[in-house]
Amino acid sequence: MPSAGALLQVENLHTHLGGQWLHKGINFSVGRGEVVALIGGSGTGKSVLLRQCIGLTRPSQGKVWLFGEDLCALSSQQLNQVRSRYGVLFQEGALFSSMTVAENVAAPLQEHTRLPLKLRNELVAMKIRLAGLPMEAANKRPSELSGGMKKRAALARALALEPELLFLDEPTSGLDPISAREFDHLLRVLCDSLGLTAFMATHDLDTLWGMVDRVIVLYAGKVIANGPVNEVAQLDHHWIRAYFSAHSGRQ
Amino acid sequence: MTRDSPSLECVNAADGCVLKPGGCWCIDQLERLDDLLHSTPVPHDCRLKIDASGLTDLDSAGVMLVVNRLRAQGVVWSNVDLADFNAHQLDLIHLIAERLDARAQPRQQRSALLPLLGRKAAEQAQALVSQFVFFGRIVEAVVEVARRPRLLRLRELTTQLETVGLNALPIVMLMTFLIGVVFAFLLGVQVQKFGANIFIVDGVSLAVTRELAPLLTAILVAGRSGAAFTAQIGAMKVTEEIDAIATLGLSPIQVLVLPRLLAIIITLPLLTFVGDVMGVLGSSLVAHAQLDITYYTFFERLKSVLPASTVWFGLAKTPVFAAAIALIACRNGFAVQRDARSVGEYTTKTVVQSLVAVILIDSLFAIAFPEGGL
Repeated sequence: MPSAGALLQVENLHTHLGGQWLHKGINFSVGRGEVVALIGGSGTGKSVLLRQCIGLTRPSQGKVWLFGEDLCALSSQQLNQVRSRYGVLFQEGALFSSMTVAENVAAPLQEHTRLPLKLRNELVAMKIRLAGLPMEAANKRPSELSGGMKKRAALARALALEPELLFLDEPTSGLDPISAREFDHLLRVLCDSLGLTAFMATHDLDTLWGMVDRVIVLYAGKVIANGPVNEVAQLDHHWIRAYFSAHSGRQ
Repeated sequence: MTRDSPSLECVNAADGCVLKPGGCWCIDQLERLDDLLHSTPVPHDCRLKIDASGLTDLDSAGVMLVVNRLRAQGVVWSNVDLADFNAHQLDLIHLIAERLDARAQPRQQRSALLPLLGRKAAEQAQALVSQFVFFGRIVEAVVEVARRPRLLRLRELTTQLETVGLNALPIVMLMTFLIGVVFAFLLGVQVQKFGANIFIVDGVSLAVTRELAPLLTAILVAGRSGAAFTAQIGAMKVTEEIDAIATLGLSPIQVLVLPRLLAIIITLPLLTFVGDVMGVLGSSLVAHAQLDITYYTFFERLKSVLPASTVWFGLAKTPVFAAAIALIACRNGFAVQRDARSVGEYTTKTVVQSLVAVILIDSLFAIAFPEGGL
């Protein structure tokens, strides 16, 4: 059973992929209001785990509890209901390329609410401003936006339905350090003031130090560390040491 | 989820006006909230206080609505007292009030008919020009290859010959065979009326070799290989492979276009010839079954009524079809932009444009050489 107060809980999760076991018994949970980062080397299955938490793919074994519901046991209708309670920011933004930014943000509202057009437009404008985009960006197509603006537009879309939980796949990848820090700051501000819980897969050390409450480290199919950044960074494990020393010149 | 329905109360006190929102001010109640705010007049000339003691839930949509509606009524937001909000809610309200300051709404761009017409015309002219430019670059590449044959990519050419020619063989054979059967059957019904059974050979052989087989094969290849060319080159453009080719010091035209152009020009006449044979075979079958013309009689008659020049004329058109298909397909491939919609759009364009081109060229041949090969 999921523990009380956990928005997301993963229990003894195994994944068999491409002839080998990618995850060998993963356990963790994310409580309300937390900003949690999932780190791990390339190929350790961070994105796969993220997709399983979202309910896009099923684990081979084990359970994923989202909002206290067992994702594997839900019917597709119930799953869609759960889906309207979280937002996802995909790695490349995954904006619909045939629509303008405003239409992209309006898309979830159109599908899940029956708001009149005027209110919907107001909401869309608010979300776009909230994500830190200028209003002129609203009528642009994704191909006309820079990488940072694309991420912001995707964030506006992910926030459209007032989600309680936000999943982010590599939120700062492909951004220059300045835009990456700005984006981190924006995320932190939004998480704090919207009361969001965030669960992200990331590579970015600065994101970890800057805005994350807790880090979960994935190594060889298991969770080898789970705790605040400064505690995890002190742990004596060769991968963790190598990971955190990769940037040590900075400190 | 059961949520308290929202309410709004407005109390006019001595030192100003107090707004008392109650219940849940969230996105799923937004329409009701809008009505509530509209039906509650708020005086904007006195101090305004918002008392959140009755509020159970608040999200950014609710905040936005309050901020926008009060501002629309002339309330200066920074003068509003916020009482009994928790820290989270205050953060949220300040953030949204600050971000909504730029009060521009997204406006749908709608262009008038005349500018639209002009833009479309300019686009068409541009497309025509770029087609000529592309043609020029291909001629340039061909001249280059003619001077230095080593530049021709034999491996790519053989791969293309296989996919465009060999792999298309079954479908071309089947389609031309069926067309031969259908045409012979319908013509057979007519010639039977006149008792002119043997003349079916004249009609079928002329129609199949001069028109049906070349046209049908070209259409099949346009739909099959033309679309594939555009999609392949387009996808390579999306993944920047074409830029990679250019940075290796190679010409994308020579690497990608010439093998495809040559492959299609070589294979289309060959496929058409197979089509000729299959069409005639199909009709001989029908002639035998429907009109009792033996195969021996059929082919004896065929020998005397079908001059080789007719077949040659039918085949001579096909390299022109092939060149048109390859040029259109490759140009559209290079025109693909870097988004998902574009590949599909240009692939559709390729099929439509190359079909139109094939039929136009065919009618030009028919008008220019009405007695050609007869």
